[in-house]
Amino acid sequence: MNVTSDDFTARLMNDMDPRLLDFIKNKVNSFIKWDLMRFFYENPNTADTVENIARYAGRNAAAVKPELDELVEAGVMERRMVGDMPVYMLSNDPEMRRLVNDFITACEDRHFRVKAVYHIIRQMR
Amino acid sequence: MERVKTGIAGLDEMLHGGFLPLTANVVEGAPGTGKTTLGMQFIYSGIVQYNEPGIILTFEEFPQQYYRDAASFGWDFRALEAEGKLRVIMTSPEVTRRDLESMGGIIESMAEEIGAKRILVDSLSHFERLTRDPIELRSLQYSFINALKREGLTAVITHETPTLFGQTTEGDMNLAFVADSYILLRYVEIDSAVHKALLVLKLRGSDHAKDIRRFEITPRGIEVQSKFEGREGIMSGSPRRMAEYFEQAFVKR
Repeated sequence: MNVTSDDFTARLMNDMDPRLLDFIKNKVNSFIKWDLMRFFYENPNTADTVENIARYAGRNAAAVKPELDELVEAGVMERRMVGDMPVYMLSNDPEMRRLVNDFITACEDRHFRVKAVYHIIRQMR
Repeated sequence: MERVKTGIAGLDEMLHGGFLPLTANVVEGAPGTGKTTLGMQFIYSGIVQYNEPGIILTFEEFPQQYYRDAASFGWDFRALEAEGKLRVIMTSPEVTRRDLESMGGIIESMAEEIGAKRILVDSLSHFERLTRDPIELRSLQYSFINALKREGLTAVITHETPTLFGQTTEGDMNLAFVADSYILLRYVEIDSAVHKALLVLKLRGSDHAKDIRRFEITPRGIEVQSKFEGREGIMSGSPRRMAEYFEQAFVKR
């Protein structure tokens, strides 16, 4: 059986904790989301508007809003109405918080970061 | 009378045992005087000495800054959060205002979740961006303070003064009317060195020490020391020896 270099690369890049692989492929599938995950890992009880979260993360609100909404859809974040203002915060689900912690901790390893970047770029194609 | 101890020995003595329960206690001072440290010590002591979980509510200052600052005193805030005894919440004044107005808001939920008894609000100065009208601002501050009491919390609320030395402005003093206690932290210049002074200006419903004490921020947190002896005009930032005062008042006329 012939193994192509693409297959080999894919196998190599998939070689990580399956929970984290799924997290990267299906939840944190962009660099803005990655940035947001780092921010919420470091500041886990932040609850604020899109505009303020974008400001804290040093990003543009228009770019951050769709990413936050997708993280809400994926169950990573929660969106609550405070009066008439949508406010975003990290999900309070302990399993999801553990996953975020494990992802950011794993990112300290350069090999893991390379794999994560590979998957995110593939998602963006 | 039951007291909520700050855990800062000299300060609890000045407060005749501590704050009164379910009160809002303002700590006012210039940047770097130790307002946040005093507040963090109040929260930390509450958790580890008195089994009273706490919340730190911050506007603009990132929680990771509190984790770092606390760690420099040997206080592991991340571990306390993991144990469910502390929540460091970052949000904005506009969200806080509406959140506390609503039933089952974010702050209320977190307070219930950990059984919080204490809160540090750092700082109320950020509320000033909600309105330029001083009457509306006072009303907002009053509502906010009442909401904290409704949640069963005893609060330390920091408030910044723009001037490094000297007197508070009239606008700043408006807060003194809505707060239950008011503590001033000041830089004081003596013999070409900067010291720090603490005064309990007001403690509603209780007597308190009236003297102005020295304090230092040590590796263990704030330590309140003896009062300034033989000097007058401490809170002006540039005190003089009492002999000079006496001379000015009686001799040089």
